[in-house]
Amino acid sequence: MKIFIKFDFTQICTRVIDEKLEELGIKYRMLNFGEIEFLEDVPSDKLKAFDLILREYGIEKIENQKVILVQKIKDTIIEMVLNTDDTVNVKSSVYLSEKLGHSYGYLSNVFSEVTYTSIENFIILQRIEHAKSLMINTDLSLTEIAFRLQYSSVAHLSTQFKNTTGITPTTFQRIIAKRRALSDNKN
Amino acid sequence: MRENYTYVVLADDDEDDRLFFTEAFDELKMKTKVDIYKDGVDLMNALNQSESTLPNILFLDLNMPMKSGLECLTEIKSNPRFKDIAIAIYSTSASEEDIEDTFVSGANIYIKKPNDFKVLKKILSDVVTMNWQYHTSGLNKDNFLLRL
Amino acid sequence: MTMKFKSLYNSERFLKIIFGLSLFIVLVMGGLAYRYIKELSDSFDEVQEAYQLHIELEKLLSALKDAESGKRGYIISKDSTFLEPLWVSGSELDLSLQRLKALTQGNPDQEEKIADLEIKIDNSLRIFEKTLQLAQKNEIESAEFISAFKEGRQNMNSVRFKVLEITTHESDLLGTKKERSSKSLSNAPMVVYYVLIFSLLILLLIYLQISKNLKILKEKNELLETFKESTTQSEIISKHGNWIWNIDDNTFEYSDNLYRLLGEEPQSFEPTLENFIAFTHPEDLDKLTEQVNKMMENEDLPFIHYRIIQKSGSIKHFKAYGKVLIDSDGHKKLLGTTADITDEIENYRLIEERNLELERNNKELASFNYVASHDLQEPLRKIQTFISRLEDKEQENLTDNGKLYIKRIKSSSARMRSLIDDLLQFSRTNKSEEAFEDSNINILLETAKHDLVEIISDTRARISSDSIPSMKVIPFQIKQLFSNLISNSLKYRRENVAPVISIRYSETHASEVPNLKYSKHSRYHTITIKDNGIGFDQEYAEQIFTLFSRLHNKNEYSGTGIGLSICKKIVENHNGYITAEGYPNQGSTFIVYLPITS
Repeated sequence: MKIFIKFDFTQICTRVIDEKLEELGIKYRMLNFGEIEFLEDVPSDKLKAFDLILREYGIEKIENQKVILVQKIKDTIIEMVLNTDDTVNVKSSVYLSEKLGHSYGYLSNVFSEVTYTSIENFIILQRIEHAKSLMINTDLSLTEIAFRLQYSSVAHLSTQFKNTTGITPTTFQRIIAKRRALSDNKN
Repeated sequence: MRENYTYVVLADDDEDDRLFFTEAFDELKMKTKVDIYKDGVDLMNALNQSESTLPNILFLDLNMPMKSGLECLTEIKSNPRFKDIAIAIYSTSASEEDIEDTFVSGANIYIKKPNDFKVLKKILSDVVTMNWQYHTSGLNKDNFLLRL
Repeated sequence: MTMKFKSLYNSERFLKIIFGLSLFIVLVMGGLAYRYIKELSDSFDEVQEAYQLHIELEKLLSALKDAESGKRGYIISKDSTFLEPLWVSGSELDLSLQRLKALTQGNPDQEEKIADLEIKIDNSLRIFEKTLQLAQKNEIESAEFISAFKEGRQNMNSVRFKVLEITTHESDLLGTKKERSSKSLSNAPMVVYYVLIFSLLILLLIYLQISKNLKILKEKNELLETFKESTTQSEIISKHGNWIWNIDDNTFEYSDNLYRLLGEEPQSFEPTLENFIAFTHPEDLDKLTEQVNKMMENEDLPFIHYRIIQKSGSIKHFKAYGKVLIDSDGHKKLLGTTADITDEIENYRLIEERNLELERNNKELASFNYVASHDLQEPLRKIQTFISRLEDKEQENLTDNGKLYIKRIKSSSARMRSLIDDLLQFSRTNKSEEAFEDSNINILLETAKHDLVEIISDTRARISSDSIPSMKVIPFQIKQLFSNLISNSLKYRRENVAPVISIRYSETHASEVPNLKYSKHSRYHTITIKDNGIGFDQEYAEQIFTLFSRLHNKNEYSGTGIGLSICKKIVENHNGYITAEGYPNQGSTFIVYLPITS
């Protein structure tokens, strides 16, 4: 037998961090995802212990400020892509610089320095990934997905999809469907 | 990422292609480690060593003697230990069906070997970047399909 | 109802009923006639009898008169010769009386009267005797004689009266009888006449019916004859023969053509099973024998197939089938048909051979395809990659000539690349491998434009397009079609004129396009790709779609002569039709017709 599951990384991580910090008796506040503010001074040995515990879960304390900023940019972009309603008519560059308090030029420099890719590319990638998950997990048609992700037309979505992944949305859907059929057959 | 570089492995029986591949990564100046195997049998032997470090991206030539790229692919996909490896098919042109079939069989990336070294560099850089994005941005790896 | 009656009217049964009925009526009427005639002859006898009675009575009376007059003569003359009739009449009277008695036998009334008459006659004879004796004694004057004489006269009168009485009675009797018989006698000829007429009518009816039946029978016979003729003809044309196996007496009948199928003259040998089986191909003999035995056992023959060898030596393939039929007399027959399917089998074998050949050819093409796709591409790719390496890394170490050579090698290998790519694409445009799916054509067009994005922006081309409805197509082929047509338009643009390509959509009825008139689809999606390029002379409109045909020198325009052939192949894969119109130095228009399938 085989089942398909969906999981929320944010929720899992938040839960793990919650539990571990409580275990260590550290008072804290969760700001954005990936940002924790300690409400009191934490001894360095406790901090080290916390660091080691989280590493077991693949969670790592980020030292570099630039890396932190990039993470923030990414979070903002993901949030932007998922909640399309709020960002109607607002350019992503404007939105990002307003939200993170840095000029867009600075943000995009830091971003490409750390990730070897541009913010624009990352936004496109995120939108396409979102489109993929909608294609797989919902019954929405391509037209509806294009509308939801604020593409001007299906053709626009298809072109961008093809540019990013090298395959058309239809081919993508077909491949995923065939893969599922194949694994269903195996089980 | 556990290590701060991308571990890349290529299996290709063609000497020239292996040369282009390593030279391209040399010139790319990305944080990568590249290992080369000259056929599918060698590759699988190395991977199946229990203590072996597994690559982040595995490039497979389709047309290899003894064990073809597709055979390697099926073998890798049937072993849960290799589930985190991104598989890139690295081949001379094939028909649309063949390309689709490799995706269905579990490949993440299909690369048609380019006829320009600059293009090759661009492609390899894109692949590594995209793979890294999937790793670092919490994207669903099952949806990772890329054709270049 | 009328139908039923009509069929009854026409049936043999009806004829029998009519015949029986009429026979009965004729018999009855004949009986009646006989009775009348019998009656007639009876009444004739009666008249005769009455007449005889009359004569006898007359005779009796005249005998008495003779005796009387004789007696009187004797009394007057005493001549004894006068007495002679007296003796004669005495015996005659007896005879007459006897005859009268015989005549009136059965009639008590008359018998009584005759008896009465006899007494009277006896009386008068006695009186005669007495008077005669007296006269002989010559006592004529005596009172006794006179009284006797008177008595004699009186007696004579009473005899006469009696005779009259009898005659009258007989006449009366005859009268009533005559009245009765004349009544029935007047009916008799009528009855006979009616019987005759009626018989004639029935005869006519039967004649009509029989002649009608005969006519029908004749028509049916003619029909049967025609049918038989046409069967014979169709047997010859369709190379089959019929045979009948009379199951009850185990005999066979073969049609003429069955003999011909065996290569023999019609009816040239006795139609027996053994004679037929003798023609069978030795390899099929066991099989056929087994099947025939089964046929004998089950009284049924499913389709069987076997070979025979004609005396000329040629081998023929036969197919046979039979079915049991029970005729109206209850005889069981197996009606069989045997067909010569040699041509069929020969054709089938030929087609199979051709198919194999085609398959072989296709396989060869496929392997050529593989060679072209893989083996040829690989060295070329390496050459190109090495050249790009040389260009990048060794540029400074080359002389100007070296750089030029590199450039030339580069362009040559690029041309080879495009040739190989196009050829590959052409051979890959095979319908059988591809699945048709509902596709958004606008997206395919967008993708095609995207593939050409660099050249589009380089040439500053403007491409406008209508919204095109979804179609069931092979998506990547249609994308290829757009891509090839657009790149064709861009390639053959006019110098210093920015290309303008308009892609229009409409629906066309098949009858409007001469080449689609006989197509099985009635409506067609029509996509028109119009450009403002160099165009072409209309006389080349067909030629441009053939493989490797180029209208221009390859130094002027970089075509391989494959692109439009691919377009044609793709459109044909979709059961469509592509045509081109060219206007030199104005532009060209490509029209793609794709069938509208519901």
